[in-house]
Amino acid sequence: MSESPQVLSASQQVKLKGRVTHIPTMREFAFTPLIRIFHWLRFLAIMILLISGFYIAWPFLMDPKSTDVLIQGWMRFSHLIFGFIFSCITISRNYLFLFSKDKSERRSLLDALSIDRWRSQIKAYVFLGKPDEKSGLYGPLQLVTYASFYSCSLIMVLTGLALYSRVYHEGLGQLLYAPASWLTYICGGLANVRNIHHWFTWVFIVFLIVHVYMVIWTGIRFKKAAVDAIISGYDYHTHAHIEPFPVTTSESVNINEPTIPNKSIL
Amino acid sequence: METHKALFQQGQHRLDKLKQLAPRAGDSLLEKMSAKGINRRDFMKWSAVVTSMLALPNPFTSLVAQAAEIADRVPLIWLHLAECTGCTESLLRADTPSIDTLIFDHVSLEYHETLMVASGFQAEENLQNALEKYKGKYLLAVEGGVPTADNGSFLTLGPHGETGLSRVQKAAKDAVAIIAVGTCASFGGIQAAAPNPTGTKGVQEVVKQPVINLGGCPPNERNIVGTLMYYIMFGKLPPLDMFNRPKWAYGSRVHDDCERRGHFDSGEFVEEFGSQEAKDGHCLYKMGCKGPYTYNNCPTERFNGHTSWPVLAGHGCIGCSEPDFWDAMSDFEKPLSRRLLTGLDSTADTIGAVILGAAVVGIGAHAIATFFVKPVDY
Repeated sequence: MSESPQVLSASQQVKLKGRVTHIPTMREFAFTPLIRIFHWLRFLAIMILLISGFYIAWPFLMDPKSTDVLIQGWMRFSHLIFGFIFSCITISRNYLFLFSKDKSERRSLLDALSIDRWRSQIKAYVFLGKPDEKSGLYGPLQLVTYASFYSCSLIMVLTGLALYSRVYHEGLGQLLYAPASWLTYICGGLANVRNIHHWFTWVFIVFLIVHVYMVIWTGIRFKKAAVDAIISGYDYHTHAHIEPFPVTTSESVNINEPTIPNKSIL
Repeated sequence: METHKALFQQGQHRLDKLKQLAPRAGDSLLEKMSAKGINRRDFMKWSAVVTSMLALPNPFTSLVAQAAEIADRVPLIWLHLAECTGCTESLLRADTPSIDTLIFDHVSLEYHETLMVASGFQAEENLQNALEKYKGKYLLAVEGGVPTADNGSFLTLGPHGETGLSRVQKAAKDAVAIIAVGTCASFGGIQAAAPNPTGTKGVQEVVKQPVINLGGCPPNERNIVGTLMYYIMFGKLPPLDMFNRPKWAYGSRVHDDCERRGHFDSGEFVEEFGSQEAKDGHCLYKMGCKGPYTYNNCPTERFNGHTSWPVLAGHGCIGCSEPDFWDAMSDFEKPLSRRLLTGLDSTADTIGAVILGAAVVGIGAHAIATFFVKPVDY
């Protein structure tokens, strides 16, 4: 607990019947413009790939009255285009992670090796304290989750390109034909390649929901600019300031006396 | 063109050498054909068709014709292992004997259990004689998978109760080339479907030499004969794909050459057998057609003397020429996205939705808990 009466814990402040405000004190650069652009472009790509992918798996809009209504064609076209966008982003982001001038992402790797940081992050998620002021951009659990996300992305990209090269035999398809044949052989046939491509879709759906929740929750609970950061690039750290209510005799306040917390200032 | 010229000379050279060998006693191919009412013109047309199927330019037609005529110089030993004889039947039981059937008859078949008269010890003796006499010269065709569990004891053959595993390994040792006829010999087939108690495997997994796989249940008779012609002409393996199947037969997917493909591209699907869409010949993708994942030339070669093939007849492809097709392609009348996963009896989407639901419940519980716990100290 802090010794200074000006920076008492929030719960103590409530007990002291002081007014707590969280004032941004530090503006910290978090995400480079490229990371932010890739993030939102990838979000767009994933949404379109999910919709068009499920449509291709089961084309549910039936009975076009005219052959000019090429729903199937547009779905496959958008799946291809955004599939390529997604592939390029996945490859570029892997490159940026390894070779970007900005070292903040790579520094997270060291954090992931520290048991203390693991412990503090997991404790923070189960309401037992707050995460360390970390040196890198991502907490250890975050880093492992994102690494898994990238592995799944890579599986989607590789199986997707293999399926692509089976339909389009010229240009890129021709270039990819031999490696795609090898992948097909490893998977034991094209049906399995397609199955893997379908199964891993669900990783993205579950990730999306949990990711959005965790970001918003972190922002609210730890009073920081979690969602803002991926838009503006800056993270804000706040400090709690209390303006104690005028106390006539400070000695008369019994800290142990049970009081009803004022929910509105939590 | 230069490579084609060299290939032609190589083929002609080999055929000239083969012509020196003594033919198997009996009528020549042309005599056999005229007895069945097939004239030389039909034969040359057939040769041209096989040439184009093998992706060779037109002048090679004369080579194919010569190869067919001297097919009785190349000894062929045909083994039956764990199988249903369907591959042999499809080749032999055409209602009107085609030239393919006649050539199969004409080939110097030294051992074939379905066709030979001998049985028991006599049959065994024939096999041993053929293996000895044509050592290092014979082509080995294998039909059926090889059970390997318990040292292969799930399949025993002949008067000595020899296991199929030992027989195919012995015969493969001195074979000049090995052709796995059908999905069972190529990849294990239905016998190898999970849980595969007999440990059945394709021939390529139990012998050391390369094996030409002719997947299909059954493979098209023309693919079998075409592979024979290729070997007789050039004396080497044809260009093979990732599963060692000849590229000229298994180079494109059933989906690529399907006559219903236009309906797939424009999103016109059959949703019920016997419906108007089915009668109009719409795409069978939603009825579980596995053509998009299957490499074969069924749409172009068809079956029963080029009469029809499954998709033309109104049922989706079941992918019978692919490895592990019984497991990988099931359910046969549902697309892959709606297949029930083995042991779970639900689709991948159901499982995904359950996991998603669990995640949402977890998120909800976590969010609600946040309201009741102590705020973070600062």
